[in-house]
Amino acid sequence: MTMNWVALIPILPAAAFMVLLPMSRRLRNKMLWLPVTAISGSTALSLLALAKVWPAGGEAEGGHAAEAIWHVAWPFAEIGTQKLMLSLALDPLAASMLVTVTIVATCVQIYSLGYMHKDERVGWYYAVVSLFTAAMLSLVLSSDLLLTFGMWEMMGLCSYLLIGFWYELEGPRKASQKAFLTTRVGDLGFLIALFAIYKTVGTFDLATVLETSAQWAPSAALVVSLGLLWAAMGKSAQIPLHVWLPDAMAGPTPASALIHAATMVAAGVFVVARTLPIFEHAPIVMTAMLAIGAATALAGGLMASVQHDIKKVAAYSTISQLGLMFVALGAGSATAALFHLTTHAFFKSLIFLGAGVIIHAAHTQDMREMGGLAKHLPITTAVFTVGSLALAGFPPLSGFFSKDEILALLLHEHHYVTFAVVVLASGVTAFYVTRLWFRVFAGPVQTEGLHEGHKSMTMPMVLLAAITVVGGFGTTLYAQLLGHEGEWPAPAMWILSLVIAGTGMTLGWWFYGRRDIVVNTRVWKQRLGWFYGALSQKLYFDLTYERLLIGGFFRLSEQTAIFDGRRIDAVVNGAASAFVFFTGLAWRFDGSVIDGAVNGLATISKSVGTSLRGLQSGRLQNYQRLVLGAVVLLMLYFVLAVKGA
Amino acid sequence: MTMGLSVYLLIAAALFSLGVYGAVSKRGAVQVLMSLEMMSVAVNLNLIAFSRYITPEKMTGQFFTAFQMVVSAAEIGLGLALVVAIVRAARTAEVDRLSELKG
Amino acid sequence: MSDMFVTVSTVALGIVVLGSAVMMLASRNVVHAAYWLLALSLGAAGLFAVLQATYLALVQLLVYAGAVAILNIFTIMITLRRREDAVREREFSVPAAALALVFFGVVAYAVSQGVPAAAPVPQTFPGIAEFGAMLFSVDGWALPFEIASLVLTAALVAAVWWSREEEAR
Repeated sequence: MTMNWVALIPILPAAAFMVLLPMSRRLRNKMLWLPVTAISGSTALSLLALAKVWPAGGEAEGGHAAEAIWHVAWPFAEIGTQKLMLSLALDPLAASMLVTVTIVATCVQIYSLGYMHKDERVGWYYAVVSLFTAAMLSLVLSSDLLLTFGMWEMMGLCSYLLIGFWYELEGPRKASQKAFLTTRVGDLGFLIALFAIYKTVGTFDLATVLETSAQWAPSAALVVSLGLLWAAMGKSAQIPLHVWLPDAMAGPTPASALIHAATMVAAGVFVVARTLPIFEHAPIVMTAMLAIGAATALAGGLMASVQHDIKKVAAYSTISQLGLMFVALGAGSATAALFHLTTHAFFKSLIFLGAGVIIHAAHTQDMREMGGLAKHLPITTAVFTVGSLALAGFPPLSGFFSKDEILALLLHEHHYVTFAVVVLASGVTAFYVTRLWFRVFAGPVQTEGLHEGHKSMTMPMVLLAAITVVGGFGTTLYAQLLGHEGEWPAPAMWILSLVIAGTGMTLGWWFYGRRDIVVNTRVWKQRLGWFYGALSQKLYFDLTYERLLIGGFFRLSEQTAIFDGRRIDAVVNGAASAFVFFTGLAWRFDGSVIDGAVNGLATISKSVGTSLRGLQSGRLQNYQRLVLGAVVLLMLYFVLAVKGA
Repeated sequence: MTMGLSVYLLIAAALFSLGVYGAVSKRGAVQVLMSLEMMSVAVNLNLIAFSRYITPEKMTGQFFTAFQMVVSAAEIGLGLALVVAIVRAARTAEVDRLSELKG
Repeated sequence: MSDMFVTVSTVALGIVVLGSAVMMLASRNVVHAAYWLLALSLGAAGLFAVLQATYLALVQLLVYAGAVAILNIFTIMITLRRREDAVREREFSVPAAALALVFFGVVAYAVSQGVPAAAPVPQTFPGIAEFGAMLFSVDGWALPFEIASLVLTAALVAAVWWSREEEAR
């Protein structure tokens, strides 16, 4: 049986976008059932695809990435003798990602029915979300790096569109520009990697590229892996290219849940995981990835601890968790990274959706103005707690299993320094999660008229919470799916995780949960003055870019302008005075000899000119008409003359 | 029925005439420029059609089109810059209010 | 390409091109007009492709549908003070229409008098690679190409010069 129906998975949401695109705004707003139906269909097909690739009876061979069971390629362009292919392939990795992406996307779309229904451009929102989902699904299925890059850019486009969705406001506009420019810096790396790949292998086909990568010159592997790493750092918001993600929270919250928490930012991790065999030939890049991931995990967690905006906390937390995935990749395990990616997609989108309900209820994003929501929003509180505990790595939720796998991996590969950093980062994670929880749900009520979210908003969250609760137990199944022996976490790991999470949460409780009053942390902020200052200034990344890059650019253009003024003007002025001198000479000659002749002519032309003056209205358009009219007359003459001849 | 050269020439002629109409009747400077662009597309279409039917292997018309595109790209860039400059200086982009050519 | 395909796509693209030209002239909103010009460029690119000029079709897409369309929209945005300025009075000019009609009549008459005989259709049309080779060969079009680059540079400099702020000059 052919499996061409797999191609429908990305095509369905893409078709929804194509249908919505040409509609009028009012009609589009009424057609919301269409994208929701499309994405539900994709989800069903993805589950079917997962069932198809499921290894029969645990026969997976250890240490072997399972093969693609479906492959299709359409040629779409020809450059010289080189055919460019649009090729898709379904392997277990792709199938698991498909399921993750479609489930999160479905939840987000259903949730948005409640969250966005008052917005007057909700139809456009749905169209862009559908396009985004289609791009992400194609990226997952793609087995051609050029197609991957195209979809990568398409997702970027949707990301800018959604960040700047409320373009009437200054903040979203700026944020979307920032996201555009920052990820563009990263995408340059992808392009360089593509050029290098084409130069070395002469094709973009992923399977061929990976197969031949063992025979590449070391320099080629280095360039390609560096380029891909740089691109992934831009997309997945790793230090130093992370600055756009916190600002990206200016977009609608469900879009943040889908794009800036669950899927698009994970695309960087996914692409690196796909091309990991190339990285293995450039060990130095692996080490760099490990270091960057660890630094990001820790710094992201620390910055999340000082934010007051609930969405920014979640954004920095995403940055930190993506850092963990990079650590896993740097340690050489795509499985660990992708399992964390999957569990993270579920619990982080859950946290974002919960934050959306909270923002709707409290009418603010500032956690200092929230409190006591637990009594009024029981469902949201419950699911949010599940999500937070999973994020903190509390057993037996899914976050525990995936984080544990990364920790075990680091120990196994003897990366002890990184292990320590990751343990610290996990502690910090538990701390800021607890801080967030107590600030929002405990303490005195500060807002009137709190109310639970609509059923369309709570239902998807409950589903995501259920997945978060049981998802972790799939850890061995997941490893099996990707062709490895899965292992259950050792008892020591349970204890270690409990201790880390417990410490962080106790600290968080001690700072924010002890008293039933509004929390005052000024004393601690003063004691840790410079440290707190550095963190609240986002570790000076944004400021440095502002001063160094943007300021530097303006200084450079100023200098150029000054150079222009001094040097170039001098040349021009010199030429002008020379010209004046020569005209002076000419004028003498002119005065004596030519004048006599000219004066006579002038008298004649003056009388002709006066009579023609009517034409000289000075109006541009009249001249234009005259010119074109004359052209038409000339053409008429030529046509007739040719015919006559 | 197969498409002959004359069909393309007629499409191009219609396009050019529409461009002429726009260039002469529109008062907004940007619209006039857009009409000019329309005319240049018509010219390109003519050249390419001739190239396809008369010199398919030497592609002379195609090369002419390439250079025509360069020139009209320059024209559009300059034209729009000029519009911006005129708007700054004269505070209007209406072609019929500009009468500085009057001697 | 089969004859059938060429016929159908020529008619369809011709309708697109002329239709969007008419819509561009008819639309009162300048921004809409710019988008119709974009549609026109896309259609023209299609026609170029049908006429076996792949490279020029791509350039048409990149330069006209891409860069020039954006340039147009930017200029509109820069030169309009208020949103309402984008919508203009309906303008119809009889002399202009007459001029255009006469022009079309003359050309159509000329075309109806006969066009040069078509050369025999080659087995395969030269592709992008051949176009590129001829464009850069010294016996071919390398010299005009270099001159064109000079023209573009000069235009670029002039455009920057003209659009500078008044005080900077």
